[in-house]
Amino acid sequence: MFWDVIGTCLSPVAAAAALRLSCPLIIGSTGGCFNEKTSTGNLAYECFMLTGAFFGAYGSYLTGSPLMGSLLAIVSGLVLAAIYGVLVYHLNCNAIIVSVAYNSAAWALTTLLLVVVWNTRGQFNDPSIVSYSNLEWAFLKPFPALDMIFNYNILMVYFAFAFTFIGYIVMYKTPFGLRLRGVGINPDAAQAAGINVRKYRWICLIIMGASMGLAGSYMPLCGMSLFSENMTRGRGFLCLTSTLVGKGHPIRTMFVALLFGYANAMTLVLSTYGIPTQIIGMLPYVMVLIVLLSVGIKNYKGGADISGDTL
Amino acid sequence: MPDNRALDGTIRKFFSPDVGIGIARYILSFAGVLILGSILIMAQGEDPIRAARLIVYGALGNLVAIGNSLRWAMPCMLTGAASIIAMKSGVINLGIEGQMYVGAFTAAVLGWAVRLPPGVHVVVCIAGAGIAGVAWAIVPALMRLFLSVNEYVTTMMMNFIATLFCDYFVVWMIIPSSGITTTTAATPPIASGARLSTLIKGTSCSTGLIIGIAVCLLVCILYKYTIKGYELKQVGENLKFAKTGGVNVKKTFIIIFVLSGFLGGLSGGVEVTGGYYRYVSGFSYTMGWEGIMIANICNNNPIGLIFASIVWGGLKTGAMSMERGTTLNRLTVNLLQMFFVILVSINYEGIFRYFADRMKKRRQARRFLEGENRGGKSACSGM
Repeated sequence: MFWDVIGTCLSPVAAAAALRLSCPLIIGSTGGCFNEKTSTGNLAYECFMLTGAFFGAYGSYLTGSPLMGSLLAIVSGLVLAAIYGVLVYHLNCNAIIVSVAYNSAAWALTTLLLVVVWNTRGQFNDPSIVSYSNLEWAFLKPFPALDMIFNYNILMVYFAFAFTFIGYIVMYKTPFGLRLRGVGINPDAAQAAGINVRKYRWICLIIMGASMGLAGSYMPLCGMSLFSENMTRGRGFLCLTSTLVGKGHPIRTMFVALLFGYANAMTLVLSTYGIPTQIIGMLPYVMVLIVLLSVGIKNYKGGADISGDTL
Repeated sequence: MPDNRALDGTIRKFFSPDVGIGIARYILSFAGVLILGSILIMAQGEDPIRAARLIVYGALGNLVAIGNSLRWAMPCMLTGAASIIAMKSGVINLGIEGQMYVGAFTAAVLGWAVRLPPGVHVVVCIAGAGIAGVAWAIVPALMRLFLSVNEYVTTMMMNFIATLFCDYFVVWMIIPSSGITTTTAATPPIASGARLSTLIKGTSCSTGLIIGIAVCLLVCILYKYTIKGYELKQVGENLKFAKTGGVNVKKTFIIIFVLSGFLGGLSGGVEVTGGYYRYVSGFSYTMGWEGIMIANICNNNPIGLIFASIVWGGLKTGAMSMERGTTLNRLTVNLLQMFFVILVSINYEGIFRYFADRMKKRRQARRFLEGENRGGKSACSGM
């Protein structure tokens, strides 16, 4: 049985599931990289994602087009990010408190909207929520493994990788990205060099809100056509963690997100072997701790101290 | 006359603009929530005044209602105190929820599987819960201290692991071995000797309330009158100063986490021994996160925490009565509570200062201009 489990873990089926499940994590955490690089102190990833998921489903339900659903999700992310920006940058709220309140409010807000709009509690499943259709590539057909992994995905999966690449280019190859990184490393020095720090934080917050909204809209529109209460189940926190582990570098962050997506896929694959679902469900979170531990041990300088940079 | 001067000082302190802003902060936030709440309730086609009346009646209407309000205030006090200890020292403990689950699970297992004399049993259960919370909180603390891994990610991940870990034991170990069939994932009820006695009959308001208030007072004394409390606060406010002053920063850091985790676990233990009498899967429903928010509402003041918790518990009970009386969902109140948290955390003092500054500058500019005009005229006449 042990070898069966290992075999299943390494099979193309698991890889295909991992690719699909890590898509929202990749999109979200690429947006999160901008957020992380300018140190906006925003932890409300879960909130943006959950509202994005609801409005993605709602937009698709209203218009019958998944693209409009994603657009509405992006707009919802933008609105929430704008409110966050006003509260934290202009009214000087504590960023962590606002984030915690946001995360808690998102659950209440989406469940309330579920009741108000569709008059159901728990989950809403309806064919009127039109999902994205799968794309087919004929040239992949001769290779069964590649066919299984890279074919029949929705547009967003391919977009996720493109988005990461765009993020990398913007952040590391343009003057805008240089200034942005400068703001993150030393805001005072950036201010002295004539960069409007608040403007850069605003731009990054907006990018993060939009991409988290888009990432949220993946979940109802990836083929399930349903919205359920607390649909994201901590995926926003996984986005946050992958940006922190990747230290805001889009490509590195993408690989961390893929790892978490793989751990998520394990929960689906391994449940057929009779392993308790609770143990499998722990996998992504334990994986986070293992990744953090291994990075921490790699950077271990000896001795204990609490000042200085954290991971 | 020293007495008179002291009185004078007190009066001045109470009527100073700072206190005024402090009160205005709550009044403005409350007004904001009332407006937003009316809009939210009217949007759902209900009468806001009727809903508000139902909330107040449900929270304070009779003895049972008051008892239930106090029962829900109980966990808020403990999680809030756990959060205050972390916040005052500049540590972010987002893992109170997880510590609470582990504590509750430990208390439920100890209360069910162990046989002890009645008085001792409760104490063992609650202490065990606290120690379990410490065990859960010490992992992020050590990771931060030795490997400089940011504590807010680890504490958050430990939350998810805690809920799944407890559920695993309940579903796969305890339910099969106890031989009972239940539809919900819950442990068998704890022994009657392991239960906290009820304070108000007919409600689940138990002696846990006294524990909660005692903890708040102890936290207050710790920070106000002891050297250790000063050291804890110093580490958060000015790390370099604390180091130069000879505080053992590493030890203090561990103490912060141990205390915070202990109170987090304790809140779970009190929930089980004083409220549910067993561990129910998913019982907390964001209670741990609420602790962080309540601590912010009362501005990290342990005495304020008692009142904030009672209001919070009252709103929770009132929301249920509102849900029974109207077509509104109780999540409406939940949403309004979050609005209140956000509105209270706005820096009104800064805004007030900003406008006061601007007024002052404008006045100065006007005076300067007036002076210049007069000066210019005199200079002209002099020519």
